[in-house]
Amino acid sequence: MTWVTWRQHRMEGVWTLGVAAVLAAMIAVVAYEVHVTSCANTTYSGGVEFCLPNDVLGTLAQLLVQYNLYTYGLAVLPALAGAFIGCPLVAREIENGTHRLAWTQGVTRLRWLSVKLVLLSIPLLVAAAVGGVMEVVLINQLGPSVDRWAFFDQQAPMTIAATFFALALGVATGAVIGRSIPAMAATLFIFVVVRIGLAEIGRPIYMAPLTYTQHDMANYSFPPRGYTNAWWVDQASFYDSGGHLLGRGFVGGSVQPAYAIQHFQPGDRFWTFQGIETAILCILAVALIGFAIYWATRRVS
Amino acid sequence: MIAPIRATHLGKRFGKNWALKDCSLLIPPGKIAGLVGPNGAGKSTFLHLTAGLLRPTTGEVTVFGRSPQKQLLLLLDRVGFVAQDTPLYGGFTVAEMLEFGRRLNGRWDHGAVEERVRRHKIPFEQRIGQLSGGQRSRVALALALGKRPELLLLDEPVARLDPLARREFLQGLTQAVAEDGITVLLSSHVVGDLERVCDYLVIISAGRVQVAGDLEDLLNSHHLLIGPRSANGLRLPGLEVVKASHTERQSSLWVRGQVTELPDGYRESALPLEELVIAYLSAPDAAALPQPRLEEMPA
Repeated sequence: MTWVTWRQHRMEGVWTLGVAAVLAAMIAVVAYEVHVTSCANTTYSGGVEFCLPNDVLGTLAQLLVQYNLYTYGLAVLPALAGAFIGCPLVAREIENGTHRLAWTQGVTRLRWLSVKLVLLSIPLLVAAAVGGVMEVVLINQLGPSVDRWAFFDQQAPMTIAATFFALALGVATGAVIGRSIPAMAATLFIFVVVRIGLAEIGRPIYMAPLTYTQHDMANYSFPPRGYTNAWWVDQASFYDSGGHLLGRGFVGGSVQPAYAIQHFQPGDRFWTFQGIETAILCILAVALIGFAIYWATRRVS
Repeated sequence: MIAPIRATHLGKRFGKNWALKDCSLLIPPGKIAGLVGPNGAGKSTFLHLTAGLLRPTTGEVTVFGRSPQKQLLLLLDRVGFVAQDTPLYGGFTVAEMLEFGRRLNGRWDHGAVEERVRRHKIPFEQRIGQLSGGQRSRVALALALGKRPELLLLDEPVARLDPLARREFLQGLTQAVAEDGITVLLSSHVVGDLERVCDYLVIISAGRVQVAGDLEDLLNSHHLLIGPRSANGLRLPGLEVVKASHTERQSSLWVRGQVTELPDGYRESALPLEELVIAYLSAPDAAALPQPRLEEMPA
């Protein structure tokens, strides 16, 4: 099975490692430039790119930061891996009828699918780990001026979990639908729904958010100082002295607010939250793989 | 002797349609059995059930006494299957395709497979996608035989071949099978192909088995009687009418059984296999042949 997997999927392996190398190189350029120019902790309002020099590497780093190339890459590539590597794994065999060849050799479908999944996972997960860890290093280097929560999906271990989940999703939709292109569409759609669902609905409440109350409205400012790396999950709500809500995010009218309340996740929860969401995606991935194996062994002919 | 294939009330439904219904069948060992029927009759479904690719809706099928659904691991090495349109990996070279077989099968005989491919002058470095239909079928057959199977299932293996390639392929098959005593079940909708290689025949139509038996016996026990049309009906002792067709003056009767006495004015003529098959297929309600009584057969 190892030879068969290599022969059938070597191009996927080459692509994975190639894309990972490009991504790693992009982050490395930015990290190196930030390091040698001491642009970390920059107070430049527009971001780190305005601090970087205009030589060749500096310009390249500016462009990479400005167009968010590696940021988008780290967010999108797991889904593409699921669609382009996961979906065809079973679906292309069914489309070509070759599943009737492969599954009537001396190897069970369970073994056929397991070996392929394991061998395809290795380069993908390594690539996801490299990209995610390098992003963590870069963010650490940039220091507290960067909102770590804004790049939640781009950091390891989330990149690894998302890639694993997308691969499992691709294999499962491919097995059930039996055609690559519709399975790719389904994979991309479900991946985006799950990712947005977790980020918007799950992530603010993995742990109950803390409440910050500000009474000194004369010196009102949000976010308050001293809450480094906190994630403000909602907008400030303004109340009058009687406890009536005046408005969210802004105050209108003539009444002066007496105090404001805002909810947040403290910075030291960041890695706990990474762990929680990683676990959720991994559990979903394992369930999807189980479903794909069930479907391929019992429902496909 | 354990039957290579034994189906009991086997049925498969896809959605609302029964692709195969209440099919009871026994293929005796060492036979080259032909599975014949029109397109959509359930031939592929039967083969897929036997190869363990599908699960039955009703009944069961066993291969060498084992269920291809529940005990597939024990059967994978013993059963060779060539699916319809001989699926192979188009991007593989012939050599890689053979390596594929070697890597995935425990009882693989690489020398014999290479010899078989070489005998047909198929270049090993050629991509599968560039082979002719005949070459492709031969590679598929070589792969299936390379497993050294005890049962070989072939789904319309010659459907896309020209008549010459057809003949050569079937000859190659009979030779290969004769050497090893493999049981073969071969589906086709072309009766002529089957007549050349088969010694056992199964006629399947609209999801049901109509006829199953030794080819020789079938040909000996079916007759075409032609004579004047009778207004009062004929007495045909010991004979069963499969199909009858009448003109104003003349009746043609396709009958089964031993003809002991002919009715007045009737003559008997031999019934070629093609006629026999068509008679059954055009009379789907014709009583199917007495099938082997499964209860009495040893398991």
